[in-house]
This record gives sequence, structure tokens and C-alpha cells, in this order.
Amino acid sequence: MRVVVARVEDFPPGARRIVKAGARSIGVFRVEDRFFALRNRCPHQGGPLCEGRLSAWAVADAPGQVQMTGPPRLVACPWHGWEYDLETGQSFLGPGETRVKAYDVSVARGGTLDGDVRRAEVPEGARAAGREPGPYVAETFPVYVDEEDYVVVDV
Amino acid sequence: MPAELPREVVDCDVHCAPGSMDALLPRLGDYWRDYVEDSTARLPPSGAYPPGARTSGAEPVPQDQAELAAALERTAPRRALLSCLTLDGVHRNPHYAAAMARGLNDWMREELLDRDERLRGSIAVSTLDIVTAVEEVEPLGDDPRFAQVLLPVRSDVPYGNRLYHPLYEAAARHGLRIALHAWGRPGAAPTTTGLTTTYLEDYASNSHIAQFQLLSLVTEGVFGKDPDLGVVFAECGFAWLPALLWRFDKDWKGVWREVPWVKERPSEYVRRHVRLTTEPAHLPRVREQVAQVVEAVGPEMLLYASDHPHDHGDSGGALLRELGTADVEAILRGNAMAFYGQSVS
Repeated sequence: MRVVVARVEDFPPGARRIVKAGARSIGVFRVEDRFFALRNRCPHQGGPLCEGRLSAWAVADAPGQVQMTGPPRLVACPWHGWEYDLETGQSFLGPGETRVKAYDVSVARGGTLDGDVRRAEVPEGARAAGREPGPYVAETFPVYVDEEDYVVVDV
Repeated sequence: MPAELPREVVDCDVHCAPGSMDALLPRLGDYWRDYVEDSTARLPPSGAYPPGARTSGAEPVPQDQAELAAALERTAPRRALLSCLTLDGVHRNPHYAAAMARGLNDWMREELLDRDERLRGSIAVSTLDIVTAVEEVEPLGDDPRFAQVLLPVRSDVPYGNRLYHPLYEAAARHGLRIALHAWGRPGAAPTTTGLTTTYLEDYASNSHIAQFQLLSLVTEGVFGKDPDLGVVFAECGFAWLPALLWRFDKDWKGVWREVPWVKERPSEYVRRHVRLTTEPAHLPRVREQVAQVVEAVGPEMLLYASDHPHDHGDSGGALLRELGTADVEAILRGNAMAFYGQSVS
């Protein structure tokens, strides 16, 4: 199923949209010029994951010496603050923890469909922060921009 | 307590204290001898336990090697780690407290460690001046008979604070563990909400302060900084650990951004770096539940301690009676050998 989200020009960097795909609710995010889509359901207890705040990884090699790395990369569930990687849906609460089902999201301009699933390597920020992936992965979906420059999610 | 303990037990908390200031005066130097005389400063009778209290035990705190040897006769441990809480009762002049720490450590070495090869020492340091505390640890840390640095579980500032980090670094450098022992300076609030009015409150609160100190140590990044650091909570109980760690892990998941140097679940740090002594054990009334408590805590976390001469009832014995051989062995000896390493071998 393809879900048209918005025209690209109406979806500026930093914006997000929550869309319906049948019974599923999906959050679509634009961070700089990349699009991401995640199932709007936290695998922990079903909270509205995609309504949460976005943040970059905070990295600290010693107490008090914290640096933020790059653009926002994680979405935090508003219920308990558990955070998931936007691209992969991966949580980093350590082995043995729950994970969110992730859908892969991609963007193609002018009808170029980029539906390849880009799976879940540990992103640079998580590696820098010294964090271990947990088993929970949020569902992610491919995102494209079609001929008319609409943002589209493949569900 | 089982009728007969296995041999080679490591007893991780045996109390001792000089009987009076007279035992320390020769070790204090001219100025402090005068100071003691002028101020009529005296030692507390035996650390925190009032001589008349039921929990103080029937016997006095051993004051010399002969009294310790008599006390150790029953359990015949391979090693006994000495806890001398005398510094808890020393007043707040930091220079005097440092001189007393030096005197107590010299007393322990000369009167006890030099005279009985089973004994292992705890280095007394005053937390009123951490620079001087480090200076006290540096030379003594080279003596393998000192196994740990002894601090009162009550503190003026929580133990995760950066103030203490140089002391932890010095301890780790010398392979010494940090022992946070129940009680503390009378002026240091024995609860997280202020001063108490009764001995009963003080006695029951040690396990609560220990929990807060554990939160502080992990949260302020002490264990992430120093992979060689080990902390033992002595005489503070242990049955509280599972509930605390569950909550600690859960809260970390949501608010880790405040402490991004805590990179793993807090419980991971605690299981790697922290141990707890068995006496007093806070156990369920139902016998079958005792083993369940130990399973939840983790038998690898526990170090046997007689806590001689203090008497908390038979909780330590009740604990060992309900466990299998492997766990009993680990608690009586194996865990201590792994945690303290060479100094108790």
C-alpha cells in the first residue's frame, strides 16, 4: 500500500506528519533532507511513539563532558522516554530489552523509487555513545517522493 | 549458622578498635598528644554500637590480637577483614581526623596485622579532606595486607561526588576495594531526610543510606571511570537490591540523557563493581523464600561476614542454611577471593 503524505514543499526540515495506513498509524519525519517513517506504536507498552521529542545522541566519555552528535536521530516515546533510532527503529537499552518493530523509509525524487530496505547497522551516534542495541526495533517504512514531488510511504 | 562451617572461610567484617586513647597516643606525634590532652578528647567506646544495646553483642569489640584470636576460634577463617570504626567518632577538625586516621592505621598494622597472618586490614581515612585521605592510602596501599579503604556509609556529600574520585582512583591503583560500612559520624544525618532522635532509627537506616549511595556512585559515573574499582557495602543488608535495581534500570531508560556517561543499565555496573556483606540479612519469614531472595540478589553478590561481635540475631545463619552447597561455598569464600583478589588469598 502507498500512502501519500504531503507535497515535499509542504514538508520542511524538522516537520513531522502522523498518517493512517489502514489500521496503522505511522509517523513520517523530515530531518534535514532525509525522510524517516516509523510505526506510531511503542513496542514497550503501545504508547504514541511518534509524538515524542526528537534528539541527537548525547555522548560522554567522562562525567559532565557531554557532546551532542549530529542532527536528531532518536525519537522518545512520550510515555516512558524510551528512545528509538529513526532509521532502524532500534532501541539501545542494552541486550535483553524489548525492541520496536522498524520499517525502512526512503525518499526518491521525480518518481525514482528507492524502496531498498536499509537495515540496522549501529548508527555512528550510538557507537560513539557506547550503547548496545536491544532487541526492540520499531517498524519502519520506505518513503519516496513521486513525479509530482509528493512524499509517499510504502506500507 | 551451620553447625560446622567449611574451612577456608573469608570473613569480610570483623570489628576491632583500640581500647582507649592510650593505644594511639604513642602514634600521634607531639603536637597531637598535646592537643588530645588539652582538649580531653576521648575515643568512642567501640564505634557505633552502644555498649548496653542488645545489638552490640555479648562480647566487647576486640582490642588486640589475643582478643581477636579468641573471637576467631569458632569460625577459624582463613582470612578476616578488620573493620575499625573508631574514626566515625572523631570530631570534625580535619587535621586531627587525619592524624587519628594515621594513628589507627599504624595501630592496626603493628598491633594486629604484624601479629596474625590471618588478618587483613581496612585503611581508615577521614572524608573531611580527600587530598589527605589519598596521601594516607598511597603508602599503605603497597602493603598487601590492607585489602580495602574503609568509609562510613553516612557521608557529608554523596559518594558519587567528584570530590571523592581521587580517592577511588588511588584505591583502584593499589588494588584496594572501597568498603562503605554501616554508621558514620554522629553529626552526619543517618537518613536522607535529616537527623534522627533514636538509636533504633539509626540502626534501621543503614540499609536506606546504602541504597542512596549506590544510586550516587553509579549515576555520577564512578564505575565507568574506573573499571578496576570495587565497592562493598558492609553491614547494610542486601535484600533491598533487586527492587532498587529494577527501578534504577527503568528510570535510566527514560532519562539517560541526564547521565550519558552511564552507558549501560545501572544494574550492569552494580553487578560488576559492587558486593554486599551477609550480616545483617533481612530475610523473609517463610523459609522457602530465602533462597528466592538470594536468587534475585544474585549469590555472586554476597560476601560472608560474621560482623563479630555485633549481634543481629541469626539471620546470617538462616541465610546459609537455606542455600545449596555451591552458593554457600561462593558466599563463604569464592566471592571474596574473586572480589579482593590477592589480598585475601
